[in-house]
Amino acid sequence: MNAPLRMALPSKGMEDDTVEFLRACGLPVDRLNPRQYRARVRTLPDVEVTFQRAGDIFAKVDEGSVDLGITGYDVVAEFRREDDQVSVLLPELGYGRCSLVLATPEAWIDVSSVHDLSEIAASTRAAGRDLRIATKYPNLTRQFLYDHGVNYFSLLESSGALEAAPALGSADLIADITSSGVTLRENRLKTVAGGTILHSEACLIANRAELARSSHKLENARLMLEAMEAYLRARPYLSVTANVEGGTAETVARRVIAHTDLAGLQGPTIARVYPKSADDDADWYAVTVIVSRDRLQDAVDTLRRAGAADITATQLSYVFQSKAWSYEALLRTIQAPDE
Amino acid sequence: MDDLEIQRVRGTNDVLPEERLVQEEARARLGEIFGLYGYEPIDTPVLEPTDLFLRKAGEEIAARMYSFTHWNRNLCLRPEFTASIIRAYVNHLQDRPIPVRLRYAGPTFRYEKPGLVRHRQFTEVGVECIGAEGAAADAEVLAVARHGLEAMQVTGARFVVGHLGAVFELLSQLGMPSRAQSLVIGVMEHVSRAPGEAERVVTRLAAMLGAAEEPDSGEDGALGELLHSFGPERAARIAGDLLERANFSLSGGSRSPSEIVERLLLKWYRPDPTPAIRRAVDFIGELRAVAGPPVEALPALRRVLADFGLHDGPVLEVEAALEYFDRYAGVPLDIRVDLSLARGLRYYTGLVFEVYDDEGNQIAGGGRYDDLVRALGGRGPTPACGFSFGLERLLAAVQRAGTVASPDRSVRALVVPVESSDYGEVATLAAELRRGGVPVEVDVRFRGMRANLRYADRRGIPLVLALGERERAEGVVALRDMSAFEEARVARADVVRAVLARVRAGTTPEPA
Repeated sequence: MNAPLRMALPSKGMEDDTVEFLRACGLPVDRLNPRQYRARVRTLPDVEVTFQRAGDIFAKVDEGSVDLGITGYDVVAEFRREDDQVSVLLPELGYGRCSLVLATPEAWIDVSSVHDLSEIAASTRAAGRDLRIATKYPNLTRQFLYDHGVNYFSLLESSGALEAAPALGSADLIADITSSGVTLRENRLKTVAGGTILHSEACLIANRAELARSSHKLENARLMLEAMEAYLRARPYLSVTANVEGGTAETVARRVIAHTDLAGLQGPTIARVYPKSADDDADWYAVTVIVSRDRLQDAVDTLRRAGAADITATQLSYVFQSKAWSYEALLRTIQAPDE
Repeated sequence: MDDLEIQRVRGTNDVLPEERLVQEEARARLGEIFGLYGYEPIDTPVLEPTDLFLRKAGEEIAARMYSFTHWNRNLCLRPEFTASIIRAYVNHLQDRPIPVRLRYAGPTFRYEKPGLVRHRQFTEVGVECIGAEGAAADAEVLAVARHGLEAMQVTGARFVVGHLGAVFELLSQLGMPSRAQSLVIGVMEHVSRAPGEAERVVTRLAAMLGAAEEPDSGEDGALGELLHSFGPERAARIAGDLLERANFSLSGGSRSPSEIVERLLLKWYRPDPTPAIRRAVDFIGELRAVAGPPVEALPALRRVLADFGLHDGPVLEVEAALEYFDRYAGVPLDIRVDLSLARGLRYYTGLVFEVYDDEGNQIAGGGRYDDLVRALGGRGPTPACGFSFGLERLLAAVQRAGTVASPDRSVRALVVPVESSDYGEVATLAAELRRGGVPVEVDVRFRGMRANLRYADRRGIPLVLALGERERAEGVVALRDMSAFEEARVARADVVRAVLARVRAGTTPEPA
């Protein structure tokens, strides 16, 4: 019997966004029971879903107790090892965005950038003690500080409420995750210029060895990657269709292509429109182009100049290319795990 | 994956017997050479307090250390030897007459991207000469390095000799505080190798040193100026008071309000460091531009130093050291003088040098570090200098040149008990041979003559001695020469002599 593909999804903070993301990908997740931590993907019967703490998911994937996982990239970056079994299949799922930042007390009005911290670390050291930094991300923080010339510090690997540490006097500053900055402000902390250690969002990870071992799991992983990749690829784009009056399809095409940035992914699709009433002798063509969301108004203006009326825009749901590139990349890492 | 085999840590190496023999030989030979100059052996722990290397080694090395917390102590695997040796000197040897000459060899660790010639564990073999200043000691260290290369028969090596005195003098003339100086020294190598990036380096350093961070715009400037006129102490009080009136409390962190305000005012009135940094970077570029063989570089350097209003002391020191170095007999060398040479470590103060093999890989490096003893708690100012070889790189150069000629210490004879009951007699025979200086293996598996002959053949053991009931009865030992395919029966009493004779006759190589 073929073992199912086991997938861990983050519970608590990222749960709703993750379920919503998967639904949008066409992978709706059904909890068997709201109090249980198990679930199924309706469209993929051989995928077994469990909800776990985001912070634990990297370790679960690494040890192979699940095959795939969605968690924050911050967790992956912090727990990653050179000899781990984890591959990042899709680094940016487009939600769960946050940053790992250095934050000092607001009262440190003399500190505006990370360079100030380097200087303060040196003078604190000269006074006989280390700058104390509380964090749940010791690896990333240490490397960042070294890279920015802050050498004298000690890290307090605290897991409780970090934001309170400076006010309580147990740390001088903190390195913590923030998305809106509200928690920092409420605790009278501020970020410093150049003090962002990492930008993070939700990402999809996999255990290479587990997928390499089972073609059945690999095939299920491919189906998930296909869906996610097609959704992520489609999201920034709109399909814009307009009726354009013109002599022939060629002349219409020329007018649209003249604005190269509106030519769509390949080029415009142009189809003849057959008029409802026989006495309408104008030639109308339907022009469809794919444009990125932020260029919509440009596209509308240009199509109007080209003689368009009745312009519609719809969100693309999925864009499938000739291959699912993330799956191809996964195959390559399985074949040559050590590069 | 599911197998039980455990892989070694990335960037480290298993040194297998063939290679290890070569390494041991090289270490012994280099140790002997160092001994000829009076350097005495010392060893220090691989594990050290992280602080030892943070004090003076510099940012680059700090970021590349294997450091960790063990029961709340900050420890690291030593990334280099010098700081450890100096720590040991300060701990134990300060009462000895100076100079104290020490030599060492052992593994060091740096977390770097592993490559063909770069590993995360590597072996440093070197010397430190503690308590001697000036060109004479510098020349001795250079000579020891050259002697080591000669002993290893490395040809085509290039010495690049620099001196940090010139740059340090310029930096203090520019009034740079020590953190700024350290940052400039840190980028020297980069500036020197990629002159095109000089301007970018200037901008980056200036930002790190707080240039134009607080734009002197309008009120800030006026307020700052006003506060400045009160002098630092009163200004800090006034500023603190103003902030408090504005209901902005400066307390709540670990630094005191006055500390914060003082530093803020200090920052406002700090001159823009950009011009000083630019001048320093220009200077480094000029130094690099005139680097070359001593006859050309030394006069040119004197001109550059004069242009920048600096003493020619560093050039004179390099010149003197090279002159002494020349008088230490040795093969003529490819020497290049380059005062923009900085080395990766931040504790150097004077003459520095690096040695490259014919492929451009660095195989040795060192220099003078007159402040390190003091920085590590030494009693008084103690000048010192030293250098080390990177053993793996050195041996790679040796092997490429095909000059490996280590005496063969391999096993010369296999002694085989025909039955297990013959083992006692065989053990006695093997002991006699070993006392005669012959490396001997004994068959401890009792696997019979044929299997033993096959084993000797595969291992390349030239002689096989067999002892069974018959031999014991006859008072002889069967002696087979694997290369001549002949077997002799030698009287028991004559065996050692016969084996030694064969070894010496060159049927097999001379044991070392």
